Amino acid sequence: MAAGGPSVFLLMVNGQVESAQFPEFDNLYCKYCFVYGQDWAPTAGLEEGISQITSKSRDACQALVWNFPIDITFKSTNPFGWPQIVLSVYGPDVFGNDVVRGYGAVHVPFSPGRHKRTIPMFVPESTSKLQKFTSWFMGRRPEYTDPKVVAQGEGREGKARRPPPHRQVGAWDVGSV
Amino acid sequence: MNPREEKVKIITEEFIENDEDANVGKRKKNSKVQRQLRKKQPPTTGPDKMVSEESHPGNQQEPAQDEPQTRLLSVTARRGPCSLPPIPSASRTGFAEFSMRERMREKLQAARSKAESALLQEIPTPRPRRLRSPPVKELETEFGTESGKEVGSTQQEDDFQSYSRVKFHVSARKIKSKPQVPPGFPSAEEAYNFFTFTFDPEPEEAGEKLKHQDGTDQEEEEGEEEPPAQEGANRMDEEELLHGKDAEDFLLGLDHTADEFLAVRRADYESAHVRLQREKEMLFIPSRLTVPTYKKLPENVQPRFLEDEGLYIGERPEVARTNQNIMENRLLMQEPVRWFGDDGRILALPNPIKPFPSRPPVLTQEQSIKAELETLYKKAVNYVHRSQHMIGSGDPSGNFQLDIDISGLIFTHHPCFSREHVLAAKLAQLYDQYLARHQRNKAKFLTDKLQALRNAVQTGLNPEKPHQSLDMIQKTINEYKSEIRQTRKLRDAEQERDRTLLKTIIKVWKEMKSLREFQRFTNTPLKLVLRKEKVDQKADEEAYEAEIQAEISELLEEHTEEYEQKMEEYRTSYQQWKAWKKAQRAKKKKKKQATEEHPEEETEEPYAEEDPVKPTPPEPTDRAVIEQQVRERAARSRRRPGEPTLLPELSLAGSVTPNDQCPRAEVWRREDVKRRSVHLKVLFNNKQVCRTASRQLGTDFRVHFGQIFNLQIFNWPESLTLQIYETVGHSSSILLAEVFLPIPETTVVTGRAPIEEVEFSSNQHATLDHEGVGSGVPFSFEADGSNQLILMTSGKVSHSVAWAIGENGIPLIPPLSQQNIGFRSALKRADAISSIGTSGVTDMKKLAKWAAESKLDPNDPNNAPLMQLISVATSGESYVPDFFRLEQLQQEFNFVSEEELNRSKRFRLLHLRSQHVPEFRNYKQIPVYDREIMEKVFQDYEKRLQDRNVIETKDHIDTHRAVVAKYLQQVRESVINRFLIAKQHFLLADLVVEEEVPNISILGLNLFKLAEQKRPLRPRRKGRKKVTAQNLSDGDIKLLVNIIRAYDLPVRKPTASKSQQPSRSSRTFREKHAASPDTRSPTHSADYPLGQVLVRPFVEVSFQRTICHTTTAEGPNPSWNEELELPFRAPNGDYSTASLQSVKDVVFINIFDEVLYDVLEDDRERGNGIHTRIERHWLGCVKIPFSTIYFQARIDGTFKIDTPPVLLGYSKEQNMIIERDFDSVRSLSEGSYITLFITIEPQLVPGESVREKFDSQEDEKLLQATEKFQAECALKFPKRQCLTTVIDISGKTVFITRYLKPLNPPQELLNVYPNNPQATAELVARYVSLIPFLPDTVSFAGLCDLWSTSDQFLDLLAGDEEEHAVLLCNYFLFLGKKAWLVMGNAIPEGPTAYVVTWEKSHYLIWNPCSGHFYGQFDTFCPLKNVGCLIGPDNIWFNIQQYDSPLRINFDITKPKLWKSFFSRSLPYPGLSSVQPEELIYQHTDKAVAAELQDSRIEKILKEKIMDWRPRHLTRWNRYCTSTLRHFLPLLESSQGEDVEDDHRAELLKQLGDYRFSGFPLHMPYSEMKPLIDAVYSTGVHNIDVPNVEFALAVYIHPYPKNVLSVWIYVASLIRNR
Repeated sequence: MAAGGPSVFLLMVNGQVESAQFPEFDNLYCKYCFVYGQDWAPTAGLEEGISQITSKSRDACQALVWNFPIDITFKSTNPFGWPQIVLSVYGPDVFGNDVVRGYGAVHVPFSPGRHKRTIPMFVPESTSKLQKFTSWFMGRRPEYTDPKVVAQGEGREGKARRPPPHRQVGAWDVGSV
Repeated sequence: MNPREEKVKIITEEFIENDEDANVGKRKKNSKVQRQLRKKQPPTTGPDKMVSEESHPGNQQEPAQDEPQTRLLSVTARRGPCSLPPIPSASRTGFAEFSMRERMREKLQAARSKAESALLQEIPTPRPRRLRSPPVKELETEFGTESGKEVGSTQQEDDFQSYSRVKFHVSARKIKSKPQVPPGFPSAEEAYNFFTFTFDPEPEEAGEKLKHQDGTDQEEEEGEEEPPAQEGANRMDEEELLHGKDAEDFLLGLDHTADEFLAVRRADYESAHVRLQREKEMLFIPSRLTVPTYKKLPENVQPRFLEDEGLYIGERPEVARTNQNIMENRLLMQEPVRWFGDDGRILALPNPIKPFPSRPPVLTQEQSIKAELETLYKKAVNYVHRSQHMIGSGDPSGNFQLDIDISGLIFTHHPCFSREHVLAAKLAQLYDQYLARHQRNKAKFLTDKLQALRNAVQTGLNPEKPHQSLDMIQKTINEYKSEIRQTRKLRDAEQERDRTLLKTIIKVWKEMKSLREFQRFTNTPLKLVLRKEKVDQKADEEAYEAEIQAEISELLEEHTEEYEQKMEEYRTSYQQWKAWKKAQRAKKKKKKQATEEHPEEETEEPYAEEDPVKPTPPEPTDRAVIEQQVRERAARSRRRPGEPTLLPELSLAGSVTPNDQCPRAEVWRREDVKRRSVHLKVLFNNKQVCRTASRQLGTDFRVHFGQIFNLQIFNWPESLTLQIYETVGHSSSILLAEVFLPIPETTVVTGRAPIEEVEFSSNQHATLDHEGVGSGVPFSFEADGSNQLILMTSGKVSHSVAWAIGENGIPLIPPLSQQNIGFRSALKRADAISSIGTSGVTDMKKLAKWAAESKLDPNDPNNAPLMQLISVATSGESYVPDFFRLEQLQQEFNFVSEEELNRSKRFRLLHLRSQHVPEFRNYKQIPVYDREIMEKVFQDYEKRLQDRNVIETKDHIDTHRAVVAKYLQQVRESVINRFLIAKQHFLLADLVVEEEVPNISILGLNLFKLAEQKRPLRPRRKGRKKVTAQNLSDGDIKLLVNIIRAYDLPVRKPTASKSQQPSRSSRTFREKHAASPDTRSPTHSADYPLGQVLVRPFVEVSFQRTICHTTTAEGPNPSWNEELELPFRAPNGDYSTASLQSVKDVVFINIFDEVLYDVLEDDRERGNGIHTRIERHWLGCVKIPFSTIYFQARIDGTFKIDTPPVLLGYSKEQNMIIERDFDSVRSLSEGSYITLFITIEPQLVPGESVREKFDSQEDEKLLQATEKFQAECALKFPKRQCLTTVIDISGKTVFITRYLKPLNPPQELLNVYPNNPQATAELVARYVSLIPFLPDTVSFAGLCDLWSTSDQFLDLLAGDEEEHAVLLCNYFLFLGKKAWLVMGNAIPEGPTAYVVTWEKSHYLIWNPCSGHFYGQFDTFCPLKNVGCLIGPDNIWFNIQQYDSPLRINFDITKPKLWKSFFSRSLPYPGLSSVQPEELIYQHTDKAVAAELQDSRIEKILKEKIMDWRPRHLTRWNRYCTSTLRHFLPLLESSQGEDVEDDHRAELLKQLGDYRFSGFPLHMPYSEMKPLIDAVYSTGVHNIDVPNVEFALAVYIHPYPKNVLSVWIYVASLIRNR
């Protein structure tokens, strides 16, 4: 706690995006960013990051392993708006276009310690079959204007999304001061 | 861990390791102790001990091997051979001396290995070793006592070494351990070690041995322990000497453990008995015996058994007696009293255990699981709401129907009643009464009855029929007679009533007639006709007489009867009296005798009895008296004989005076009546189920509804209520009265139900300002105001309620039996009475009595509801909560009181933020603690809240403007709040980026694109992708301003003054040469005629205090073609749509002329250097609000530059030669123009305006027509504006043509040019343009466009294009012009409203906000397309191919070109205007204007200019200022035209030796800030020539209605030398 200035509490997040299960896709990379409330501010570390491209492991589980580190410290005065990590996974499609393969979000764990989270991933669905085809053909799948919307509540009325077939695994170390 | 600690740790490890080496730390200890002892003992004992020792290794080796720790092999290996031969002590010295070197080497090696092993062993098992270290400490203490002896005795080197090592170690250890362990007491760990070591038996054994060996050993205590240590001492010594110790020596020299100092004691033993004894002190075992009651109660208290006293005590849970006793004993040990009740038993709640299990019984028998799993099919039934009075769920038909027929409503009194109406109502009422009476005709009936009775009496008296006994006859006759008497009385009363009724009817009618005569008009068609029915006078008289005679005779008879009766009474009483008298006399006699005997007794007697009064004989009745009475009565109540029968007939045949013949007040009343309408609501079980249509009140105050409502019900009807609502005009409806209708009997079915009338009355008070008498207010018919009446609104509803009949003829009535069931079950659920097994009990008194008699236990929870019911019923005050508590347990969870919560600053801050209060909307990091929140955070907010009602006059001319500003502020706030709520609405496109499906046209376009040039010569702008403004941050948004070219800029004018011209022109000429490298073509300048001065304009764009400017171009038609990029910053960093919409910043595009002045003082230096000063002269500006750019997405076009009317030193009528060919194309419009393209990068999507449905007063048909019209128009030309309805300031939809109506402009304006309509029109337009402009896109956040009427607009003195246009159009209509409102798009405003007028031969387009007008074919007309025209009575939509005003025909009579709203199929219904009849203008207070002019604006502006020049001295040229001040009124009067030359001349005359640059600014006055901004944007203050002087003059010209025209003249002067 900083003396003098207004009191805040700190939330230190260490962790990594470990691996993902995307049975249908290969050569994916992921991007993470944080969404947090008004009373929160990052003090150290990176708010966003893009991982390397990884290939499927050759074993049976076929995991896509990134082991992509996350290290960020927040300060805040209010638990309201607790940070959420938003992950979005991208990879090439049949024609080599870079398309989005999944969005997902999860709150940073609330208790200190080591946590492991599995985030179901999803992508927005085309509004019609024809659009689905053209988007597949053109390699321009529907995407969120901002991946952060998956962590926000607004505008969720009647959005069609593909059901989540994929999972991604991340491990966390959360320390709070 | 610091290094020092590390070392110590290693050392301890080593110690421990040693211990372990020595088989769990024992062997070495032993050896050490041995070593010490050995000194005292003769060496001869060695062999013995050796032998004894021999036996041990086997023992001791085992644990060592068991040790999990890996030992370094080298150590063991070395040790192994060493341990074998016991080396004699004598030879040791020699050995030591002999191999010093070797030893050194060994030491080194050993040390190394030791260190290694120590380090290795440290890691795996740190724990156990820790535990074992304490013995070392213990040993040290023991050693300490011994050391004294030791020092003296030892001589040997190794011993000494070891000792010194130990000592060192001890001293080192002492620091750590001494204070912790008090001497003599074993610590817990030591004790643990002591008992857990495996060698335990050994010391004992050794001790025995020792005892056996030297029983006489003096050392008693130690002797016991030490001897065993002696065994193998030699061997150990050697070992240590050779390896371990030396090696350890190397490591700090404190390796050695104090193993030798172990103290071994005998284990303490406590006998079981003692222990039990001790335990007894500690432990308590509660006894099982019953506790005597007295112990459980406070002293001197007798136990009370409540149950015996009749109080209810619940069943206690069952607990075994013994357990209860144990618990009681236990409790008694602690605080006894609290736990026991008055009866000496433990307090306990009643048994909570249900007597039966709630889990369904498990079937033990496995009889056919199938049967249990079998599914039963049940048809799905509609779920019926369970409610209290629901009809049983098993109802056969399901629904029942109640038909409610509301046929009409009659007001018997209404506030709008005129006096005549009041009388008419009275008359009607009386007439109704009369009719009713007439129908029943009771009088006749009674008369007949009387006749019949008389006949009966006659026949009864007839002696011809003596078939009955005389008694009987007499009796019946008597009965008849009494009946006759009764009937006669009744008849008389009826007749009298009839007669008075008739009289009142006539009286009221007379009053009415007189009133009609008096007021000279009639309001009601009522007319009373009295029909006379002639009667036969003779017969009538006879009948009358006969009747009277009969009555007299009857009365006489009665009286005689009565008389006789009375006589009889009299006689009897007289007899009595006589007898009494006689007796009295006899008594007296007797008394006389008796008094002699008993004088005392007798005297009292006469007083005891009362004297009977002597009865008086009744008087006989006189026939004459009776006759008179009868006749009197008859005259009063009966029609006189011969008088014709009057039959009143009320008819509605009269005629009502038409409106135009009525006085004004009456007309008002009638209009008021017309405005009123009435509707009824039907409430079933207090829920509104239907309502009638709203019907206008007729002039006769009758409302006909004639509506039948079929109520399908399934709740048992409890109540049926009609609510009568009245609506006046367009205001909301008022509840007049409620009428309760009875639920019909089950026999009443539709068709058979009679129409009934229910009366209602209202306690509404209404006073009206017209003829209407009002309601609840006293009024009088008399002129003097006496005889006041107070009438309340009342009336009758005629209705009928009946049960409907179903299709098959069965009435849809809930069956009676079901009603009962329904009620009973409902009662059971809700009623307390059901708890005692009965139901339907309604007599509470009886119930209470019964409860009292049956001695119900009031404390029994089972009876609680009943008891409460009884208490409520008997006490008379029934408290039924009429509310429903939603969170009844909320209070339990309130961890802090409401006030405390409100006091918390943090909570308040959070609360305000979540409410989106503007001050806190983007507050970040709300502090954690209250104390960290500064009070001042709230100050602004609170101040604003306070100021909401306080009017601040500082920034405003007068309170009026302040009020208006406040009002607008409040409207804005409320609208913004509404908008914020709707803001959360996102579209799919906002969130998901999705490619559009390519359709043919796009594909075709794409194909076409392939053939397109890569770099076209004339590139076109393409649409960009739009970005929703949600995830933007500072710096993301840029404003791109592309300045292309300008036309017709004013050029510098060669100064007229002869003295200045040469110098000036030469200077500029020279300057031009100096700047020649960057002028585009020097030859170009040569084209100009000699002496023609060039202008070097550049454009400066300022936005949000960021300023960018272009390069300098040349000539009056410069082409820059430059793109400027300005960053955009949203307020508070909030980039939401709502926030962006409310950005009020304005983009200022200023055009300056760059003038270079040579400042070289000395001509001699001219060859060496150039010294010029750049001055810039403002030429004009274009202002574009950001909101426009935001909503338009881009602004592209040529704009007129707002140039000051007078620009000294510049002129416009120039370069005729060059521009000649252009001029022919261009229209004759004056002014300079600039071509711009402005957009925002990235393109933002403006928020969709929320289309709300507003209520409206318009006819529904009209609204439908508007929707249809708009849809049709949108289908044809989606981009053209089509406006049919707008929202007025109170939020209601109004048809647009209602806004247009001829309205009078201020008379002063009309008086200026009485003979010049064109000039008047211009003046009027100017007046309108002087009303400040306030775009409602800013104020109302694009949500909705509110249209205020012209009077509201003039009151508010602020409005946007629509209001200006409407006002201007209305003025033009007043002036007799043909004028229309044009809805279309203009630049830069976007969708806007203009005015078009027809001027004899051509159309003029007026911009209402600037007051300018343009011909239809003016290219520079800002109006770019025309959507529709609106006139006072119609709307015309443009259906021509083009919409540019240049290319369209404004002839609205052609239906092919203009689609009109009202046409033959939908004629104009004659809509009334929402505008006022006429506008009333107040004169503006000139004094106020003058005060504002001098002391406010001028002062503030001067201060501002000084502020803007912080580094320079600002001098004011007073002389010039006064000159300018004189000049400004001229400008106003000429509207800024054609004065330039005169002005220039005058200025030159007066300020000849100054170089002067300046200009007047003109604008409407609204606030200070725009004025300041305007002055700032001219950049006059930027001149930093040292000797510059300034002049500033302000002139305010007041127009009516507080419209002020403000002129500001700013100038800078530089003295010429």
